[in-house]
Amino acid sequence: MKRGKATIICEVKNGSYSQYPVPENKTGTYVIELLTKRILALGASQQGQFLVDCESYLSHPQMGTTKTVHILHNSEQPASVFSILESGTKNIHVIADGLFDLLMMKLSQHYTSKKQTKIESKGPRFELGDFCVKLGSVTMNQNFKGILVEVEYRPCVMANAVWGLLREFLQGLLGPTVPVQPTQHLMSRMNEIYTPIDTIYQYLEHFSAYRKVTGMRNN
Amino acid sequence: MNQAINVEQLNSALSSLRTVRSNVSLVFETLSNGLRADHGEDGKDKFLMELQELLYIVSNNLRDLEQTVNALPIPVPFNLGNTTYLSQETTQDRQALYTQLVNSYKWTDKIHEYSSFAQTLLSQNSLKRSYINSGSTKRRGKLQSNHNVAPLQVDNVINNIDRSYNDMKITISRPFASNAVVSINLSHVLKAVVAFKGLLMEWVMVKGYGETLDLWTESRHHVFRKVTESAHAAMLHFYSPTLPELAVRSFMTWLHSYVNLFSDPCKKCGCHLHHTSLLPPAWRDFRTLEPFHDECKQ
Ligand SMILES: [Zn+2]
Repeated sequence: MKRGKATIICEVKNGSYSQYPVPENKTGTYVIELLTKRILALGASQQGQFLVDCESYLSHPQMGTTKTVHILHNSEQPASVFSILESGTKNIHVIADGLFDLLMMKLSQHYTSKKQTKIESKGPRFELGDFCVKLGSVTMNQNFKGILVEVEYRPCVMANAVWGLLREFLQGLLGPTVPVQPTQHLMSRMNEIYTPIDTIYQYLEHFSAYRKVTGMRNN
Repeated sequence: MNQAINVEQLNSALSSLRTVRSNVSLVFETLSNGLRADHGEDGKDKFLMELQELLYIVSNNLRDLEQTVNALPIPVPFNLGNTTYLSQETTQDRQALYTQLVNSYKWTDKIHEYSSFAQTLLSQNSLKRSYINSGSTKRRGKLQSNHNVAPLQVDNVINNIDRSYNDMKITISRPFASNAVVSINLSHVLKAVVAFKGLLMEWVMVKGYGETLDLWTESRHHVFRKVTESAHAAMLHFYSPTLPELAVRSFMTWLHSYVNLFSDPCKKCGCHLHHTSLLPPAWRDFRTLEPFHDECKQ
């Protein structure tokens, strides 16, 4: 397992763009273009695209209490499949190679995919000095959900040490009024050495929040 | 003073050795000539008496020699490093290397002596723009060679520094003969490698926590390349040929202040990142150890 770099993922809420009137139907593209212009003006260079996706599976009722397994991929670690098993208060994660996807297909009798909640964050990837910035538009079932900005500071391996610096960077990019909060997971891992699974946990937390918002709307 | 006496003793020892040699050869000469005409008719006895007298002189000379040799101080074992092996060199044309080596050693010694004088003069005339520890000239001890220090002494100095920090681990290795290469792990923030020549620091390279450490490749992160630059400046600033231990200790104290490289904002502008370079404060003041951006330091 390689060492990761302190990374923060921040949700861009429409509210923070009050000074830029955003057309109702093209929020996503508009904001991404705006942020792209800003970051290029700072001297960044675009280095391809990135994609983080998540599919969740439910265990069959015959197997006892229903359990959820989340399968995630990150284009930064193309050879790995991340799986997180929700079991009560504790989450268990396994990092495996690409074959894990085939295994999940074999297990389809025991775990059924919740296809309608397949969610991903996708967009351009920039390098700026020691920072790597990813502007992702989040879509669930082809429906636009919001924007997640991922900022990775490569020289540092401890989130705690670099938190103030990351917040300053994000607020410089998104505007000083944007609240920058660590996710629950990151809060608990502030003093540990950062690893790629920590990024996955952060995405999962944001993805779950998006799914819940839809659920409330449907109700 | 001490040295003058040594030379005198050495001279007298050598001259008594010469006397022993010439008198011994006289014995053999007399012996090989055998009976001569001037020995007369009682030749045999006279010859034996002459021989006995000569032998008596030789044994006296020998006693003198032993006395002078015993009076000489026993030389301390001399650490010649790799040059010891030169004596085992069999190739004819390489045996001349020793003379060249001695010559170049003399030159380095001279250069070292002159540079020490130059350093004293320079520190009296303030050409430096940063602070000068004027105290160092007063406390200056006797002139000694600091680029040729016993490995044990270097180890002691560095291990003492290592023991005074909890979050900074210093390890010594000697991949190139007797000179130490020291690697430093500063918390989870950075790694550094310092090459020593005796007790003098010659080269520094700073890298990130997850990177592999070697003397020559630069870090892939901008911030550590900047810190390496600052470390070179610090190495030159703290350089003190007359008080090398203090120089090493000051440098290590300075390097230790990077423990807050990512967490502390710049003292001048109050920001973590400089608005153009987007780097954290990668400079530490030599005296106060306060963090500054390269662009913000005076
Ligand atoms: Zn500054």
